[in-house]
Amino acid sequence: MAVGIEPSQQAPPKRLPPPRGARWRAAQRVPQGVRSAAASAVLLAVLFVLVQIGVASGALRQTGLPLPTEVVGSTLGLLGTGGFWSDFGRTCLEIGASIVAGCALGLGAGIVFWKLPLLGRVFEPYLVSFYAVPLVLFYPMMIVLVGINAGSIIILSSIMAAIPLALNTRTGLQGIRPVHLKLARTLQCNARQTLFGIAIPAAAPMIVAGLRLAVVYALIGSIAMEFTTAQNGLGYRIRYLYETFDNKTMFAYIFVVLILSVLLTVLMAMAERVLLRGRR
Amino acid sequence: MTTLTKLRQSQFVGAVVLALLASAIWQISSGLSFVIPSPAATAEAFVQNFADPRYLRDVGETAQAVAQAFIIGILLGGAIGLLLGLSAAARTWLEPLLIAFNGVPKIVLYPVLLPVFSLSGSKIVMGVLFALFPVLINVAVGVRGIPPVYWKLGRTVQAGKWQLFVHILLPAIRLPLLTGVRLAISLAVVGVVLAEFFATRFGLGRVVLQAYSHGEYAQMVSTILLLILAAFTVSVLLWRLERRVR
Repeated sequence: MAVGIEPSQQAPPKRLPPPRGARWRAAQRVPQGVRSAAASAVLLAVLFVLVQIGVASGALRQTGLPLPTEVVGSTLGLLGTGGFWSDFGRTCLEIGASIVAGCALGLGAGIVFWKLPLLGRVFEPYLVSFYAVPLVLFYPMMIVLVGINAGSIIILSSIMAAIPLALNTRTGLQGIRPVHLKLARTLQCNARQTLFGIAIPAAAPMIVAGLRLAVVYALIGSIAMEFTTAQNGLGYRIRYLYETFDNKTMFAYIFVVLILSVLLTVLMAMAERVLLRGRR
Repeated sequence: MTTLTKLRQSQFVGAVVLALLASAIWQISSGLSFVIPSPAATAEAFVQNFADPRYLRDVGETAQAVAQAFIIGILLGGAIGLLLGLSAAARTWLEPLLIAFNGVPKIVLYPVLLPVFSLSGSKIVMGVLFALFPVLINVAVGVRGIPPVYWKLGRTVQAGKWQLFVHILLPAIRLPLLTGVRLAISLAVVGVVLAEFFATRFGLGRVVLQAYSHGEYAQMVSTILLLILAAFTVSVLLWRLERRVR
């Protein structure tokens, strides 16, 4: 599609990005999102076929990969078993609970840090360095304190989800243009109206970006902790199946986790679009 | 008075006070429950560990894996990020897949990596997978955000490819790049240690789980603290550097 552009790009000595808008003019008729989706579908299909051929011909024997078609088949087979739904339900409960608790905590903390800058500055180094979460490493401590159950996973995942949201909320609120707050004063808004009517909508892009991070962290945290030790849940099941050498079912579970996380990512991208409609 | 207000405004003092407060809570709660080792017992285990050659070997093993994962992760993430930032075609083909993969809990892929990269290699690969993404995303976004004027300047002075990279691209993206590097170090630690929780011969992750199953909680907490302190120190240093560069 981009063939027409190539010659004109050879004129400058280096492969510089041409000014915005000039590139891919021929392909502009198809929106970028659709082209991207199609391209990734093609890539995935190619990968699928390559692995299928590789496994079938024995070239990938060392990796222990089963045939992709078999994985799809056994995943569909899983959907009929009660054990799968109990693992799935447990993981979804953990993720859901930690998203809700983490968002409440993160948003609250972000607002408090904004209102009380001293507190925000004191917590900042801790938040910044725990942002990338060696927090998962606290899990063995949590299971000593709380026990091996959903509670300890939910507590840690909520904190993991809350931290990026708190940081983003604070940064977003600090970046509000003063004129917005002046408007609130002119309209004699009370504290609540200022916060919900003006401050939070003004900081929405940062807050929504933080929400996306929070969801990803809740998912990663929950599954990683289940994987370490648990009694139930998708992450735990993968480890269990690995240790019992049930390769085929294990790959089906891995496949389910991949699909679950991709679904969450897509959902969050859509939510972002809805929440920030009309801004860009 | 002025020194007092200065003290109050100092972030460092506040952070230290917060740490002391946390230790006080820890001390009190250790008196309430026998599963919580007291700070003193933990500190003792912390010091004693370093006299134990086997422990030192575990530390070395983990440190080496983290360092390798960190370096490979930064290089790989930087390269893919550059590709995504500079080439629209790469964006079209790879961006959605990379975004989706970023949201995947990568630890579930560990059983897939094990037969391919063996026991010692897999934890490095896991660390790389964790450390890769913050660098990748920040570099890609940073490169895309470079004002076109910069490129025009480069063209005007007829800079070579390498000169463009060193004198225009790198300085322009230094802030997001540093942020990515800072996140990468903690994530490399997480990736390697999580992998060690799962299966390994040597390493601190194994020490933690072993101490857990033997009920040696002081040993467990001191090892976790060592890991967290290491990641914390490096990322705070990088964060301060980041603020100075800005």
